[in-house]
Parts: sequence; C-alpha cells; structure tokens
Amino acid sequence: MITVNGREHAVDIDPRVTLADFLRDRLGLTGTHLGCEHGVCGACTVLLDGDAVRSCLLFAVQADGHAVTTVEGLATAGERSPLQAAFERHRAFQCGFCTPGFLLSAQALLDRGVPLDRENLPGLLAGNLCRCTGYEPILEAVLEVYGRR
Amino acid sequence: MKAAPFAYHRPRSLEEALDLMAEHGDDAKALAGGQSLVPLMAMRLAQPAVIVDLGEVPELRGREGPSVRAMVTNAALERDPSGLPPIIADALPHLGHFQIRNRGTIGGSLAHADPAAEWPALALLLEATLTLRSRARGERRVPASAFMTGPLTTVLGADELVTGVSFPKWPADGRWGFAEVARRPGDFALAGAACTVIGGHRRVVVFAAGPRPQLLGHGDEIEAGGDLHAGAGYRRTVAGRLVERVLAQAGEVA
Repeated sequence: MITVNGREHAVDIDPRVTLADFLRDRLGLTGTHLGCEHGVCGACTVLLDGDAVRSCLLFAVQADGHAVTTVEGLATAGERSPLQAAFERHRAFQCGFCTPGFLLSAQALLDRGVPLDRENLPGLLAGNLCRCTGYEPILEAVLEVYGRR
Repeated sequence: MKAAPFAYHRPRSLEEALDLMAEHGDDAKALAGGQSLVPLMAMRLAQPAVIVDLGEVPELRGREGPSVRAMVTNAALERDPSGLPPIIADALPHLGHFQIRNRGTIGGSLAHADPAAEWPALALLLEATLTLRSRARGERRVPASAFMTGPLTTVLGADELVTGVSFPKWPADGRWGFAEVARRPGDFALAGAACTVIGGHRRVVVFAAGPRPQLLGHGDEIEAGGDLHAGAGYRRTVAGRLVERVLAQAGEVA
C-alpha cells in the first residue's frame, strides 16, 4: 500500500520499477520528470513522508507503507500553492522541465523550517539542475515565500 | 537506464536478513539507502539477482552516542550530531545533496567504499571500528584501516552485513579540519582532505584523489589517479593544498 497525494494505492509491481516510473507509468502522474535517472539532475524529486528524495533512486516497493507527495499534490482545489504562485510571478522557469523537482526540493526546505538566505540557498538547491533560468528567479521565488512565512 | 530484473526480499529482522544473505551469498546485494547501488543498477553496472532491502530491519536503526547503527541516514546525523566527533558535523553538508542525505546511510556508504566518499575517509581518520555480521562468521569487529582494500572493495564477505560503526570518544582539546573541492556543492569531490590534532598528535587523510582514502604520514607522496573528471596531477596538487588548508583550520602549520 502506497499513499500518493493523499490517495491510497494497493498494486502489484515488479520490484525493479523505480518510484518515478511507477508514478508516471502506473498512476499517470507525469508531473514527476525524469532527466538523468541516476540521481544527478533532481528533476524527479518528490516528498517521501515529507522529506525530499530522488524518485529515480528508490524502487517503488521501498515506498510500501509510506506517503508520497508529487507536484500534482501541491495545489489545493486547483489553487496554486504559495510557492507555485511565486514561481509564476518571478518567471522562475522557461521550459519547465526542472520545475517540479525545484518546487518539491524548495517546499521541503520551507516545510522543515531550514533557515534560508541569499548565501546558503544556492548550495541547498544545488541538487537540482536548471538549464534555462540561470537560477536567479528560482532563488527569488523561494526567498519571497520564505520571507512571508 | 532501467535496472535488470531481480528477486526482492524485505526482511523484518536482522536474523532474517542474515539468513537471506547466507542463502543467496554471491547473488545477493544488500540495499541500504540505495543512493549508490540504485544508480549502478540503473546503468546495469550492477545486476544482482537478489536484493535484500534492509529498510525494515529495526536492529539496524538508531545510535547510542558515537556508536551508530548501519541504517542511520546522513540526514539524521546532520540534524543531531551530538556525541559524535565534531568533524562529522562539518563534513556532512558535503555528503551529497540534502535529498541524497535523506536516504543515504552511514553503513551503506562504508560498505560501498567509493574512494571519493566522505565516510570511508572519516572512519579511517577517526580510527572508527566497524561491526560486521554473518551467519558463517558471526560478529566481528574490523578497524576502518583494515576495512577498505581498494576502490569499491572491502573485506566484507558476500554473505556479510555492516551492522554498525563506532567512533572513539572525542577529547575536549581535539582540533580538526575538513575541506574538499567539487565541481558543484554536493557532488563527489575531485579531491578532499581531513585532519585531527589530538594531544599534539597529527593525523591527516586525503580522499577522492587515489584508489582509497590515504593516511598521509610525514613526507608521504599523495597517491593520485586521473579520470575524465580530473587528471592525476591536478588531483595531487589540489589534495596537497587541501592538506595545508585543513591543518590551518586545526591551528597547525603545514
């Protein structure tokens, strides 16, 4: 049994299927993106029991009994989350491929109450790669939400 | 980039895990946090027929002060490094990105024995002792200096598990330094160095430069190898500078 965005799923699955492939191919939650598939790019980041993890470095069977949040679980009733709204305001994406991973990594930092500032945030978000934005608007969006807590 | 098929076991106790390792021996790989093994499987550099997932083995969780059980995550140690030698708190933020530290474990990193990884270097530097267990040999305690024999190679038997690692008590007057160079924060280091100074006795370890962490005696040459990330000359030079830097952090003159 795995809980994804609040919904429980009981399914049989081949042990070699990663959590990322399970989310995308079995549940149709294609917001979780696969870039490098070996833990370098961060595009597939999801929350596992509230902690940001690489869903490409986890077999879906390992999430048995645990709760997963994907980018589809951030908005409530069609309303963008504060972080999603800040990404839009700051134009913190261009092609959007890396965006789900950034949103969930940053959401985990905000949820866990990690102290954030202009100095430490680039290092904390270094586990997510973006090829379009030059990172500045992403940092601004996260810091704006952090400042409004 | 998809792992080859394997049989999956998720033991609920250490006894059950040891039985599975004894039964499947060479065909089996223990899965800890999976942050090294899963990418190797995705690239099919590793194709174990059997995976023994240690994620639900209660005896491998938790710690008593400086005695850490194998499945304790790097994130847990980063949140609460109390009772551990203080160099560990300085090193942990370098140990992959925080998303990796949420899954990666101390036992998994030591058993994997990547030459560029921090735990094998810290264990050697701090004279840690690893506890290993198997059905055939029971429990044995191995000093870190005898554990890692080469890149990704240790004395761990095919049927054996790392169950924990124990660090000596840190003296109040101990000093230390830690530094590494990586292309991006959280990536594997291209070269790293760490030192302790305890009661006037200096201990220096260089890592990520050569085939395994190197305890650097006075006048020793740094063992360095080259690959597509950096040449041997670069690594030797950078590691040498990092040794000077960590000694300075510890208040020593190189």
